[in-house]
Amino acid sequence: MSSLFIQGALVVRPGNQAPVAENICVEDGVIAEIGSSLQPKDSQEVIEAAGKVLLPGLCDVHVHIREPGREDCETIQSATEAALAGGFTRILSMPNTTPPIDTGGMVTYISSISKSQGKIPVSVAGCLTVGRKGEKLAEIADMASQGAVMVTDCNLPVRDPYVLRRALEYSRYSDIVVAVYPDTPALTLEGVMNEGHMSFRLGLPGIPSVSEEIAIERDLRLAQAVGGRVHIQNISTAKSVESIRRFKSEGVEVTAEVTPHHLLLTEESLEGYNTHMKMMPPLRTESDREALQEGLRDGTVDMIATGHAPHTAFEKNMDFQHAPFGIIGLESALPALYEGMIANEKLSWARLAEVFSHAPRALLKESPLDFAPGEPLNAVLFDPNGQTTIDRTTLRSKSFNSPWLHQTLKGKVDRVFL
Amino acid sequence: MKGSATPNRKDLLTIGDLETDEILQILDAAIPFKDLFKRSVKKVPTLRGKTVLNLFYEPSTRTRSSFEIAAKRLSADVINFSVSTSSVVKGESILDTIDTLQSMQVDYMIVRHSVSGVPEYIARHTPASVLNAGDGHHAHPTQALLDAFTFREVFPEMAGKKIVVAGDILHSRVARSVFEIMHKLGVQVAAFGPATLVPRTIPDHVTILDSFDAVLEFNPDVLYLLRLQLERQKANFFPSMREYHARYGVTTERFATLKDRGTWIMHPGPVNRGVELVDDVMTYERTLINTQVENGIAARMAVLYHLTPQVKARGLEVEGTS
Repeated sequence: MSSLFIQGALVVRPGNQAPVAENICVEDGVIAEIGSSLQPKDSQEVIEAAGKVLLPGLCDVHVHIREPGREDCETIQSATEAALAGGFTRILSMPNTTPPIDTGGMVTYISSISKSQGKIPVSVAGCLTVGRKGEKLAEIADMASQGAVMVTDCNLPVRDPYVLRRALEYSRYSDIVVAVYPDTPALTLEGVMNEGHMSFRLGLPGIPSVSEEIAIERDLRLAQAVGGRVHIQNISTAKSVESIRRFKSEGVEVTAEVTPHHLLLTEESLEGYNTHMKMMPPLRTESDREALQEGLRDGTVDMIATGHAPHTAFEKNMDFQHAPFGIIGLESALPALYEGMIANEKLSWARLAEVFSHAPRALLKESPLDFAPGEPLNAVLFDPNGQTTIDRTTLRSKSFNSPWLHQTLKGKVDRVFL
Repeated sequence: MKGSATPNRKDLLTIGDLETDEILQILDAAIPFKDLFKRSVKKVPTLRGKTVLNLFYEPSTRTRSSFEIAAKRLSADVINFSVSTSSVVKGESILDTIDTLQSMQVDYMIVRHSVSGVPEYIARHTPASVLNAGDGHHAHPTQALLDAFTFREVFPEMAGKKIVVAGDILHSRVARSVFEIMHKLGVQVAAFGPATLVPRTIPDHVTILDSFDAVLEFNPDVLYLLRLQLERQKANFFPSMREYHARYGVTTERFATLKDRGTWIMHPGPVNRGVELVDDVMTYERTLINTQVENGIAARMAVLYHLTPQVKARGLEVEGTS
């Protein structure tokens, strides 16, 4: 029987108050007592946590695990190791594997490997359409009954509004969320970065913001018309935030996610054609970044998701136009957000817990994590005074395509309790 | 010519990398090189024993020949390495090629590629000096230098003069580099073309003109016409060649006005007759198109002379001994 005593951790709870230093007594992974005047018993392992922040375990609803098919980039084992190192206690695997996860059998397959090889629980998303081709609905109900919690053609928009309409209607009787990737291919074309002054200067084909915004308007209007529930994957523009705000006010059941890099970086980072800054949607402008931050604070944007997309060094080490889209994010997310938003008071710890633990867990139908007696301790201890160096020797991920590669970020994940 | 105060610059990738003084240094250096062409022996020993590689991923006989002649007139050994774009679409092949060529101890690599940023990418992976001979829609710095040199021959005092760049600005590396160099040299710059091809995201210092009347009102000293890629019509950037020429080309009627005013005409070549301009423009005494070609060699000699490769000699020379 293991017994832990966490001393003086700044415990983060929902609501907007600043975290308070408390002592937590944990027996066999379950919180036994919590309070500021508790004393450790002789038999207990004492974890000195003064000045450190105790957050509910993070949950990432957008992780490209790459298994099966591209185990050279990432496997369930390496992705979950990276996630655990980053403070995550649950992730959602995306279905754009080779072959794609588009049947109940494939969902079962991913769940079973995750149980045997995963370091943390893995929720599974299936494809919305067979082979992510956007034509024929995948067996949504069957995948749901095998435990899939989301259907999405991730990284590919549903081009045909008829198909999306039927998916929204058909999924109504299954406990599963339809997630859309907002993009209008006819406007995005061969674009590789945000369209604007920067794309003109670098001479690279641009992706206009309106390509994403039209798709969001269309998908939300459709959800409104058929009464569906929809989750919007990684948004990137100010007008996208506005659209979501408006549809929410009209009562549409929508949730939206944003990545740490869209909250923290802009297209200016593309100077020098750094392929570790190439992603979809592309990094946008400073005013977009500010609007995304504001949307996250005011509740328009519901959650943060990393969009973790591993690619080998070989794939990323090429010219900007031909390098694949996507960057990894599991191990940099928390320190990057701490340095870029929390340390400078752009975001409170309490709101971070809501958007990076409670809301994503709710999307995956997982109960919220709470620091209360009788609750299992599922938490991450973060040391704001530590530091995290992102490089090949420290990353657990099999891929190194991080925008923060070779950089040291403020703060560090000290320990994860699961 | 040795001993001038050139900075220790390895590569020429964009005009933006150069300070105005450095641009003037290169333009000044091109003057004696051009004078050389009048002699029967057009060669100087400046780069004797050095190897210059023309690495062209995009076919271009004109630019490649211009660099080849420039290097040869500096007494360098020149290798032409043309790679067909169909066999090379991925970057790893570029790096493999660079590694191979590096083993050949090349001092200068002149790179043209259809993808923006490739010369910069190559420059990071080689100690050789990289000269950008045009990358994607991004930059064509030697074209801009030869254009500035040509402009300066006509107008020794460039500051306050005016240029209109007309045509497909969106897809033009020439336009981007010409905007930058003219701005740095104090020339007022305007752009003219269909709104589909002159995006509002062009640099703030460039005035956008919406009609040929506006061009005449701007009253440029030089009208710089860009080559129109005919396939742009297929992507609906404009409806037809006929309409393009009528709205944005130098028609017979407009040519008469420009001739009256004595406006100079430049074009990076090759020209689409009947699209950007009518035939008569080619024989107009103030059309600088052939001068640009001649000046291209002098400007490129000046750039080769200006750059300092970081290729370390191996073998008998020992570094750091005194």
